[in-house]
Amino acid sequence: MFMEKAQQVYSVSDFQAVCNQIMETAFTGVIVEGEVASFKLNQNKFVFFDLKDDQSSVGCFMMAFALRFPIEDGMRVRIRAVPKLTNWGKFSLTVQAIAPVGEGSIKKSLELLKKKLAAEGLFDKAKKRPLPDKITKIGVISSTQAAGYADFCKILNERWGGLTVLTAHTQVQGMVAADQIIRALNYFNERGEVDVIAVIRGGGSADDLAVFNDEALVRAIAASKIPVITGIGHEVDESLCDLAADIVASTPSNAAQMLTRDRREIAANVRADVNRINNLLNSKIDEITEVNRTEILRVANEIYRRISSFNNEILAQRKILDQLNPEKVLERGYALLRGDVAEGNEISLLTAKQEIEAKVMKVKERK
Amino acid sequence: MAKNISEKIDDLKTGVEWFYSEEFKLEDAGEKYKAMTELAKEIEKDLAELKNDIKVIEEDFSK
Repeated sequence: MFMEKAQQVYSVSDFQAVCNQIMETAFTGVIVEGEVASFKLNQNKFVFFDLKDDQSSVGCFMMAFALRFPIEDGMRVRIRAVPKLTNWGKFSLTVQAIAPVGEGSIKKSLELLKKKLAAEGLFDKAKKRPLPDKITKIGVISSTQAAGYADFCKILNERWGGLTVLTAHTQVQGMVAADQIIRALNYFNERGEVDVIAVIRGGGSADDLAVFNDEALVRAIAASKIPVITGIGHEVDESLCDLAADIVASTPSNAAQMLTRDRREIAANVRADVNRINNLLNSKIDEITEVNRTEILRVANEIYRRISSFNNEILAQRKILDQLNPEKVLERGYALLRGDVAEGNEISLLTAKQEIEAKVMKVKERK
Repeated sequence: MAKNISEKIDDLKTGVEWFYSEEFKLEDAGEKYKAMTELAKEIEKDLAELKNDIKVIEEDFSK
């Protein structure tokens, strides 16, 4: 009865197992989007909720540890799940990953998680470490195909050289991205060979950047032994990973700027140093020349002063000599008398203009 | 062993400081200035030639 010749008969358990096998093969990891309803967390281990739209609803089950974002009823989420028929014949989705989608849900989930992690001290400013003084090895976590990574490398190469950059290629959006980035963080921390880890991702929508609000990833960044710098999205984007990181760059390019010195700036400084000492040297030479010139002028002035002084002295002596010159006396009308002045004697007289021979007629004493 | 850029920049700084120090002597300054100019050229050349070594790790982080 109810049987064709070659038709197989299943036990209930076998039928359920075959159904699950077919569904697993058909939907290795189906992505479903919908609104959360009847969200329940049992014994802090098991999560149950319904995922619905305006026409249908499907039950979902997941382990609490896989819950990477706070979820509440009414939130719109995207799940990656495997369909399953339970032992009780109930169809459900076993959720492997879940993330909020849509601006409202992402914002709500973000607020809840931010509050929770802040309360645990993951964002404490006192815990932030500065960039190492000397960076020679950088660990980069990014997608090598991303424009943000290309920008990071371009700026890094333009600004500085001689660095070893080890890039861990991971996805930077989507449900699997957080786990890949965590594995890359662990990789660098286990080896301890880089001075700093840069988590890089260019701009994108809130959905694209949602991975950087993943709780486990935020915790991994906060726990990193190696300082972490984030360069995620654009200047306006701030993720929880940014809050947990030691240093936050506004963009991938900005991260490259913060990690390196600018070789053009250094070259300009070097040129400025040489110009500075050139100017200094010239000014010292000018200074010494000026001192010499002043000194020479001073000596010359002194010599001139002394010569003038000698000249004046000579002039004065000459005036005195002039005054003593007998010719000058004769010029004033006096006469020089030579001979024995006695009556009858011949004498000679010398005036300024004449020589006179005379005979003394009479000599009389003056009263 | 050849000096790296940072060491050369340190040398340049020390050299520049000498010009501002009490040790400055005009007789030695020309020679020092020449040496600093050569060092600056060397640093600029080194800076222009520096290249980063960017490697993608072979590890598969998707597993």
